[in-house]
Amino acid sequence: MRNDSSVIALVARVGDGDQEAWDEIIERYSPLVWSICVRYQLNRHDIDDVGQSVWLLLVENIGSLREPAALPGWLATTTKREALRILRAGRRHEHADLPPEDQMPPDADATAIEEEIIVAERNAALRAAFAELPPRCYQLLSMLVSDPPPPYAEISAKLGLPVGSIGPTRARCLERLRRSPHLAGLFGGGPNDVDNLSGAGR
Amino acid sequence: MNTVAEVWDDDELLAALRDALRAREAVPDEFIEAGKSAFAWHNIDAELAQLTYDSSRDTDYELSMRAEDASIRALTFTSAHLTIELEVTDDSLLGQIIPAQAGMIKIQPRDGAETTVSADEIGCFSVRPIPSGAFRLHCRTASDVDALTGWITLAGA
Repeated sequence: MRNDSSVIALVARVGDGDQEAWDEIIERYSPLVWSICVRYQLNRHDIDDVGQSVWLLLVENIGSLREPAALPGWLATTTKREALRILRAGRRHEHADLPPEDQMPPDADATAIEEEIIVAERNAALRAAFAELPPRCYQLLSMLVSDPPPPYAEISAKLGLPVGSIGPTRARCLERLRRSPHLAGLFGGGPNDVDNLSGAGR
Repeated sequence: MNTVAEVWDDDELLAALRDALRAREAVPDEFIEAGKSAFAWHNIDAELAQLTYDSSRDTDYELSMRAEDASIRALTFTSAHLTIELEVTDDSLLGQIIPAQAGMIKIQPRDGAETTVSADEIGCFSVRPIPSGAFRLHCRTASDVDALTGWITLAGA
């Protein structure tokens, strides 16, 4: 578990009725709730229902979270439970291939959810670090992660940066990203570790 | 143990950033806005009654009904201390509170003024006409249970 002081601070501010802190929690962790729903193959309407339940339960329970840093885990567990509840509420035939919860292979399922939490925390930290980059780095990296990335000549024209400086600027910007305090709490091996996990989970 | 930032080279870091931004882009804005607006519920001292059954999602139910009754939609909301059962008929919404008891039901439309109906001593109530947009029911019973349903939309009802 990360000891993420920013999550703890956000949870405390929400306890004081701070809507902005709440919004930030939603921005950070919506992708976690969303991706777990997608994993359960819910349709859009059902995902909206699950989302509503999860957020309302969070409003109700956030003051009594014993370990605020465990928020992502709480959200993942709650999302999973709500997704299964929605599936059962319908007992729909298109989900007939979904085994009851007690017959699901517990290890594979737990591993998959654990992986979603790790990925979600890492993604949230990367987005937070990215959002705090100086504008020039933000623009350059935004262009470099687009698919497909534009040719250097185009980047050069857009940012007014000589083509020869793009490589070194890229390196400097990534170094700034790397040194962000948001990433300081993220431990683990290389990205390949999680790729292996996801291969096993699916 | 090293942090991921120390382990990743530039290409891996850029790829991880790409994945992080994609994961956020995959989530529709309305989904996020709905989450933000859920905060309006803090300080509301009611237990949440969640949808636990919806006949429109239940193909067994539709097959088991006679054709003329098949249009009746049934919904069940369950909170810690209360169950609210709803049936949508042609022109009204019939409800029952379980365990049976008297109570007051507020119908709160997402847009528009709320109305109130009372439930009789066996917990039955009716809402007429059927709310046209999204609404929720806030139910306060004789035994002082306070329960609020999630948003309900009876589209096409």
